[in-house]
Amino acid sequence: MTFTLKQKSILPGFGLTLGFTVFYLSVIVLIPLAALFLKTSELSWHQFWHLVASPRALASYRLTFGASLIAALINLVCGVLVAWVVVRYKFPARGFFDSIVDLPFALPTAVAGISLTTLYAPNGWLGAPLMRLGVRAAYTPIGVTIALTFIGLPFVVRTVQPVLEDLDKELEEAAASLGAGRWRTFTRVLLPTILPAAITGFAMAFGRGVGEYGSVIFIAGNMPMHTEITSLLIVTKLQEFDYAGATAIAVAMLIVSFIFLLTINLLQVWSGRPRKASPADDEMIPRIDLRPAFGTQEAK
Amino acid sequence: MSIKVRDITKKFGRFTALEQVSLDINDGQLVALLGPSGCGKTTLLRIIAGLEFPDCGSIQFDGRDITDQTARERQVGFVFQHYALFRHLTVFENVAFGLRVRPRAARSNDSEIRAKVKELLALIQLENQAQRYPSQLSGGQRQRVALARALAVQPKVLLLDEPFGALDAKVRLELRRWLRRLHDEVHITSVFVTHDQEEALEVADRVAVMNRGQIEQVGSPDEVYDSPATPFVFDFLGSVNIFHGRVESAGVEAGTVKLSGPGHEHAFSRTQIATYVRPHELEIKRERNGDSSSVPATVVQVHKVGPLVRVELRGEDTKDIIRAEISRAVFQELALQPGDRVFVKALTERRFESDSPR
Repeated sequence: MTFTLKQKSILPGFGLTLGFTVFYLSVIVLIPLAALFLKTSELSWHQFWHLVASPRALASYRLTFGASLIAALINLVCGVLVAWVVVRYKFPARGFFDSIVDLPFALPTAVAGISLTTLYAPNGWLGAPLMRLGVRAAYTPIGVTIALTFIGLPFVVRTVQPVLEDLDKELEEAAASLGAGRWRTFTRVLLPTILPAAITGFAMAFGRGVGEYGSVIFIAGNMPMHTEITSLLIVTKLQEFDYAGATAIAVAMLIVSFIFLLTINLLQVWSGRPRKASPADDEMIPRIDLRPAFGTQEAK
Repeated sequence: MSIKVRDITKKFGRFTALEQVSLDINDGQLVALLGPSGCGKTTLLRIIAGLEFPDCGSIQFDGRDITDQTARERQVGFVFQHYALFRHLTVFENVAFGLRVRPRAARSNDSEIRAKVKELLALIQLENQAQRYPSQLSGGQRQRVALARALAVQPKVLLLDEPFGALDAKVRLELRRWLRRLHDEVHITSVFVTHDQEEALEVADRVAVMNRGQIEQVGSPDEVYDSPATPFVFDFLGSVNIFHGRVESAGVEAGTVKLSGPGHEHAFSRTQIATYVRPHELEIKRERNGDSSSVPATVVQVHKVGPLVRVELRGEDTKDIIRAEISRAVFQELALQPGDRVFVKALTERRFESDSPR
């Protein structure tokens, strides 16, 4: 089969739209990323490694990726729960709940950060009771996780919600009539259906968490080796005019994020395997002949 | 398993879906609930299944009241119009679903489940498709998988909600005959919902014709077709010519078509009468031959539909349209042309008192 770029199609404008897409992605994504790698290449391999694998940088990676992962996992569970409640039940404040889910999207991150810090500070409304329980939230990795959980909430809810809304009630009825209880219906029928969307939401929440800056720096306390996130480390390097150092750490982060998202995507491909319908199969009308099925026993 | 439905009423808001419906279904029967959309037939089926609960009335299985049991407890097999297959599971796992979700104590071991599923796949002739996903199957195949899935749990009752409604005409026809043969083999008490009178008459042992939340008539296909209890049943079970008239003293006189036949002697004087005649029960003749029960009419249009010819006529007295169906042979013999003057005679007819004159 010969491959030609120009294929006959009833959809016009392929050349124009592809050209624009390439141009747009180049300007917005590819060129800045390339510049990042270019700047890093000023460093020798040894210098690069020294910067990227310094104890302070490693501690920041652990915090950033660890807290993002925990926050995204919390959101995965709670987000599915929130989406479930908002979609499945009719109650008075439903619309209100539905709209406050978007708040973390809309709120300037710095405002969110300051509010959360005030709340979770040792003398804050939520911080004080937690202190009495012996948990220090603000200025610890726990605080970072709280901020990232707040930021990531809408992602899982908004990806799972439409899938739940489209969910066929008959599937649950079928499961019930086949003898499945509520729990089995949920784990065997509903969960597999919403899983791909939930994983997408999880990946988005995680990605957002890794790159988050504004809401975290207030509540984190920013102690090097302890509560310093990678984004802050980069900003610090920039303020010291260590551009190469900043980009080196950024590149390291980019690579880790990329590997992580790739893994999630593969996971998703695997979990969403049997989705493609082939319309041609609809034309296959089977001839139904019962004879081999019951009828003559000697045929067996 | 026999099913007794007693005085079931179900309302959705202000809409009454079912009103005081009672129905008896004997063990091993295949019963069709037939009616136009919105007549409550699906609601009745879902109430029997336990997917919907009645406002009042009761359901009994084998004399046991199970009105308050859930679908899960009732052990019914339910087949949905749009299959409701689990998309993320293969054909094999779809069929095995009911066996795998049983409580541990009652669950068969894996090899027993495999054997059972294989047997069912052979029954629906999809052994080779076991590892495919529902999206890779045609509509007819999907519905057969849904049927096998419902049969896997060995239900006491099989309920089918417009099982062939989403399929095209040819597959529909094959599948419904297949269902009939399947029922003859398995003998499981079955109820299916349909709006297609042909389907109901062909497949079912008994037909319950429903209209506006009530059952109009229950009987064998022959009974409901040959002696419809109400004008609605007559009308719904096939196309029909309706002639309106009034009983003057004896015999329908003042009206449209003067038609023969007994059955109106007891009618009160001046009662409004509607006479129902099916198109194929009309005879068309060139000559009157002194038969006073024939009425003159003019041929308006002729449609040849396969082996049948549908003739549209206009009665000379009333200018009403009369539809007749004759065989191709008769049509050729008569050599009808639009504009021809002919005489029409009803071979059989049925009369109902009509509440309102036209």
